[in-house]
Amino acid sequence: MGAGVSNAIMMNGVRKTFGPKVAVEGIDLQIPQGSMYGFIGPNGAGKTTTIRMIMSILFPDAGELSVLGKKSAVESKDRIGYLPEERGVYKKMKVANFLMHMGRLKGLDARGLKPKVMEWLERVELADVSKKKCEELSKGMQQKVQFIASVLHEPDLIILDEPFSGLDPVNMRLLRDLINEQHTNGKTVIFSTHVMQQAESICDHIIMIHHGKKVLDDTLSDIRTRFDPHAIHVDTISDADQTTAIAAIQGISAVHKHEGIYEVKVADSIDQQQAMQSILAAIPVSSIEIKRPTLEDVFIEIVTEGTNAQHHDQDQQQLRAQLLAGSKGEEEASS
Amino acid sequence: MNFSKIARVAGREFASTAMTKGFIIGALVVPALMAALIPLIAILSAAAQPPADKGTIYVLDHSAEVFDDISSRLSPEEVRQRWEDRAKRASDFAKGMIGKAGDSASDSIDNAMSFIKTPEFRIVPTAPDADIEEIKAQIREQLSTKAALEDPMQKVLAVIEIDADAAQKLNDEEGLGSYQAFFRPKLNEETVGEIESGIRWSIRERRYDNAGLDRDMITELANVNARESKEITEEGERKESSGIATFLIPVASLVLLIIATMTGGQYLLTTTIEEKSNRVVEVLLSACSPMELMTGKIVGQMGVGLSLLVVYNSVGIAALIAFNRLDMISGQTIILFFVFFLLAYFMLASMMAAIGSAVNDMREAQSLMTPVMLTMMIPYFFFMPVVRAPNSMLSTVSSFIPPISPFIMIMRVSSTDPPPAWQIAAVILVTVIAVFFFLWFAAKVFRVGLLMYGKPPNLRTLIKWIRMA
Repeated sequence: MGAGVSNAIMMNGVRKTFGPKVAVEGIDLQIPQGSMYGFIGPNGAGKTTTIRMIMSILFPDAGELSVLGKKSAVESKDRIGYLPEERGVYKKMKVANFLMHMGRLKGLDARGLKPKVMEWLERVELADVSKKKCEELSKGMQQKVQFIASVLHEPDLIILDEPFSGLDPVNMRLLRDLINEQHTNGKTVIFSTHVMQQAESICDHIIMIHHGKKVLDDTLSDIRTRFDPHAIHVDTISDADQTTAIAAIQGISAVHKHEGIYEVKVADSIDQQQAMQSILAAIPVSSIEIKRPTLEDVFIEIVTEGTNAQHHDQDQQQLRAQLLAGSKGEEEASS
Repeated sequence: MNFSKIARVAGREFASTAMTKGFIIGALVVPALMAALIPLIAILSAAAQPPADKGTIYVLDHSAEVFDDISSRLSPEEVRQRWEDRAKRASDFAKGMIGKAGDSASDSIDNAMSFIKTPEFRIVPTAPDADIEEIKAQIREQLSTKAALEDPMQKVLAVIEIDADAAQKLNDEEGLGSYQAFFRPKLNEETVGEIESGIRWSIRERRYDNAGLDRDMITELANVNARESKEITEEGERKESSGIATFLIPVASLVLLIIATMTGGQYLLTTTIEEKSNRVVEVLLSACSPMELMTGKIVGQMGVGLSLLVVYNSVGIAALIAFNRLDMISGQTIILFFVFFLLAYFMLASMMAAIGSAVNDMREAQSLMTPVMLTMMIPYFFFMPVVRAPNSMLSTVSSFIPPISPFIMIMRVSSTDPPPAWQIAAVILVTVIAVFFFLWFAAKVFRVGLLMYGKPPNLRTLIKWIRMA
């Protein structure tokens, strides 16, 4: 197991139950140092429980776990930065004092701590509130303060549980840049989200958890290749229905019109480039592109796999609605 | 366990509780103010005394021999002399009690004494055949006119009618006579007392004379002036513990112990619930373990309780020094006091930490708090029987039952009849074992409870958590 040394996190058959409820069921995973991993899955999938076990806040009922080469995070807590999903601040404490308290708790020296805190506050445009009480801050501001608390001690491993929830687009971008910067500096970053698009835009490796099980563990590009739907999106210039016209083209196996756009399924034997050219020749096209799988599609594909064909479509629609409701709520919360 | 983290948590816990205006005002300034107010109240009540009574006293002396004595006894000079002597004695006594406390205290006593106003009487004999009803009518008239008198001494304060046989028996069949006094209403209590005692003194004086007895000799014979009583103890002798003192120290110790433990415990409950409901707890758990967090919090609030104890104890000891009764407590008692505080506090704090971690808000904590509060009430019920008989079966047995053991034991230890050393040691041992059990229980609940949101647990869920952790 020579590879174990370079793994920031290793889990082997880790299982956790709460009474009769199985929260995490036998997860195996390896997260190499310096990588940027996304944990995705709907609410209640077991992401937070998995992260809490990594943080040694909860302990697994069975299985093995190592964090930064140690048996548990207890021994390496000061090298980990953690932004929990359930996060808060001391309401009556001043912002700078809170950050200094957290820094000291993480084992930082009192000397040089204050300039460091101020530098971070400046970077997230909060320098002017350093003397305000935490309760006077908006939710988004508090979240930025909490992010600072998790990276202030320059940890090697950064775990962020739903870091973007409750942030407006501007702050979301700011936070994303800060996370990317940590990654660029060689830190291992893991973050969880139930909004799949967020993971798509930031991660290079995805772990998907559903019902306490790992259902996907791959790089984003591999996932895209593996789950290539072999389909083309076509938008036409005229409003006239072109479904039959497209379906008549050779090598096209199915056509669906969805919100004005044709989703054209290409037969597996036919090259997609070739199919695109055939379509362009046959009808007036305003835009045409190869359909790329979204994580949402991948997730639904995985979850509904094995269910019989009759229920397949119905299940997919339900899941999509669930996921959509999840991310909708998220957007509303952030606005 | 990382001690620097525990210290860090404890430091924040202490600072956020004790370094606040609310705490300093509530816990320190208010009692200090009350202590300062007590002498002020004494001075105010002295200053609020009504003006001294001045006026005429008519004496209808049927015996024809008591009047002269009354006249001289109640003359302005003699009355003033007696009042001054009395004030001086009171002031000397008070100064003796305060002892080394300093001149400022005796000054304030002198000040208080100067507020006492001496009454002034004019003693007027009536004709032996005068009608007493006429003089009474004079008082009624003065009361009804309300107009101010030209000379304040004209105000009639009282009419005294002295029986013919007040000082000497007229025949052998009947005993000695007496006197009857009629007073104007709303006279000062002291004035009435002065007049009545003056009359009784005068009648007695005549009686002694008539019986051929020497007044000074009787005074001398009647006076038995005992020296200060002492109690013999194993070590030697000490001043007799007066009734109030036997109760004072144990009850003060008990109340102080309960206040200090409850203060720390309450704050611990509040801050734990706060951290949980603020969702700051998991942020903290990313930096330290639940055990480190709980230990830090308990230690921090222990500091709060201890600082209360140190302040109040110092005040108490200062008071004992001031009254020169430092012999009422020993250094050993003070040390034991802190030991019992720690034991009591750790048990209560464990319960508070467990409850605080298990619930979502203060309201939910109430139902779980009820048994804890009832337990804390038990020592109050035991107060009387334990202080009366510190070594009775009840006292001994109850001092071995945690978590009330420290409270019962502190009453016994600070009583005038402390328990034997082996009992103290045994109680401490038993309680230390209990403390570990309480802490173990709390740690289990704390670890699970902190991250549980939603329905507050009942006892069954708590037990399940303990199995889980």
